Amino acid sequence: MSETPTYIGFEAYTKHIPPGIPAAVQQATGRFVGGRAARVAELPHWEQLRQMASDIRLHTIENLDVYLERLEEQVMAAGGHVHWAATAEDARQIVLDIARRNNVRLAVKSKSMATEEIALNHALEAADIEALETDLGEYIIQLAGTGPSHIIVPAVHLKKEEIAAIFSEKLGIEAPADPVALTRIAREVLREKFLQAEMGISGGNFLIAETGTLVMVTNEGNGRMCTTLPDLHVAVVGIDKVIPDWELLTVFLKLLARSATGQKLSTYTQFITGPRREEGEFGPREFHLVLLDNGRSSVLRDPVGREVFKCIRCGACANVCPVYKNVGGFAYGWFISGPIGAIFAPQMLGTPAARELPYASTLCGACAEVCPVKIPIPAILRHLRRRVAQGDEIAAPTMPAPIRAAAKLSAFALAQNWMYRLGARILPLVMSIFQRGGWIPWAPYPLSRWTKIRPLPKFTAGFRQWWGRR
Amino acid sequence: MTNSVIENIRRSLGRSAQTRLGPRPAVYPARQPESSEAEAERFLEEVRKLSGVAQMLSPDSVLDALKALAAEQDIRKAAVWNTPLLNQYQITNHLSSLGIELISPNASKHDLALCDLGITEADYLLPETGTLVLKSSAQKPRAVSLLPRVHLAIVRPELLRPDLHQVFDEARRDPYLVFITGPSRTADIELTVTLGVHGPKNLYVWMLEEA
Repeated sequence: MSETPTYIGFEAYTKHIPPGIPAAVQQATGRFVGGRAARVAELPHWEQLRQMASDIRLHTIENLDVYLERLEEQVMAAGGHVHWAATAEDARQIVLDIARRNNVRLAVKSKSMATEEIALNHALEAADIEALETDLGEYIIQLAGTGPSHIIVPAVHLKKEEIAAIFSEKLGIEAPADPVALTRIAREVLREKFLQAEMGISGGNFLIAETGTLVMVTNEGNGRMCTTLPDLHVAVVGIDKVIPDWELLTVFLKLLARSATGQKLSTYTQFITGPRREEGEFGPREFHLVLLDNGRSSVLRDPVGREVFKCIRCGACANVCPVYKNVGGFAYGWFISGPIGAIFAPQMLGTPAARELPYASTLCGACAEVCPVKIPIPAILRHLRRRVAQGDEIAAPTMPAPIRAAAKLSAFALAQNWMYRLGARILPLVMSIFQRGGWIPWAPYPLSRWTKIRPLPKFTAGFRQWWGRR
Repeated sequence: MTNSVIENIRRSLGRSAQTRLGPRPAVYPARQPESSEAEAERFLEEVRKLSGVAQMLSPDSVLDALKALAAEQDIRKAAVWNTPLLNQYQITNHLSSLGIELISPNASKHDLALCDLGITEADYLLPETGTLVLKSSAQKPRAVSLLPRVHLAIVRPELLRPDLHQVFDEARRDPYLVFITGPSRTADIELTVTLGVHGPKNLYVWMLEEA
């Protein structure tokens, strides 16, 4: 699951969804949808915040080179190290080199999608370096050897009895099937590991170009442990996570937790600028930022598709998605699932590898309604469907000329009040020729293609007349 | 100082090193504060909503409050930030008089992890979310608000700021900041909210009234 997939067979995966997934996922998504709605209702200017967030992300994407160079300069000025990783392999090699140079044997990790994307754990383990997930949900699925079913609560598909069995087997202890007791066991086991680890590995929610600051948003405190206790901190972050300055960040901190979990703010938000400055304050001696490209800079070529990089990874789109709620995270075949996964994976992996994902949607539009940065997900899905059908390199739509002309003509006619009214009067007269009872069983080509399958209902009245009667 | 990633970004966006930056988008303004009493009350109320224990406290009652906290949480070892305010209120003396062992805030991580209680101040407070903002230095080590199982923050009303904007204006040049909004929490097992998964299980906030 964590390796880069060569083909994502969404439809086939949906046939092997473990039992219990839809119910568990729906319970989680229901909780988050309710929490989000309550928080959004408290902020009358929510829509303005969304628009600003969208504008800021677009501005940053369109000027990404400038902000990344500023970021690099500032991280170095703060005493941190910056590494550019063009590919996943580069990124793995950079982290491995840092670990080897410092004789790291145990690395503690806080939840990070970027390290999932590059399958870092496998690379570290192959080099005999233990890489331990410390977010409770990630820890559980690492022990269980499965993938995440939900972006916020990755182990939501496992019942407490199953988790107790996993703990009992893997940790060699008697674990009761009780969430509080299981959490306490994880706390004690992982506390020892935090104190022992030589290296902390994290992702990052945002990078502030103005000062070279890594922003990490977490709830459990494991993220703080990873960045506070080990002598080394390595953050692997996608180049799309840059925010120009602190003032602009205010918008995103107001949107992120509210959209994700229905909290006003997550429990811990850290702002890390370089390594520790003084002995005795804790924090790492060395801070490394690995800036991960892995294809992102090429995805930027597509002006429609690149809006995917506005994403702040809240998971709100998945929580409202009727498809996701029935299949869960596994079916999307990569580290990022739900509607955002369906527009991310095809662009990052290429449409040949992920050609089923743009179709893993009903285009109902609920995702776009809740997205805090207004990513037009349904529009990008349609755009990607066209790329699947016509190839990734096409420049412009290539519908047959008569259809394009007809579409243009009807768009023009519908925009003219008098033409619309006239059409609405003529249409019932034309239709009455073919009408038999309340139905139209046959109509001339091209409408015959419809009536061959099923009859058309009778055209009763124009919208305006209907509205006037109400 | 070009690199292949930046070059590829420029190619994809059709930009060059000379292309000028587009206009910077607008930001929603900071919220307007209410009266200082209302702001303080709102802050404490938000901390309580997050399962924290938050109260106004007169400086004379600090010893009594510490005594009650020590009994309630079975406190035997504590670490305290080495700051003028906490020294002024003689926190370490009070703890010693209650028979609580003091661990240096600069002790090793292994020693700090054995502490029952960590006492800090805060540098700013955000009323809308019930958030403590803590900076970091050798006198104010970050691990004191993280490793002990109980965290007590002793704060003053002057630290209240209306919104993130003011905090960022004042603190963006600081090398480390942490926002603490309630005790450590998870809902990773069957969505059951459990406090204290990795960080402190209990958060106490005492706001000192003016002396």
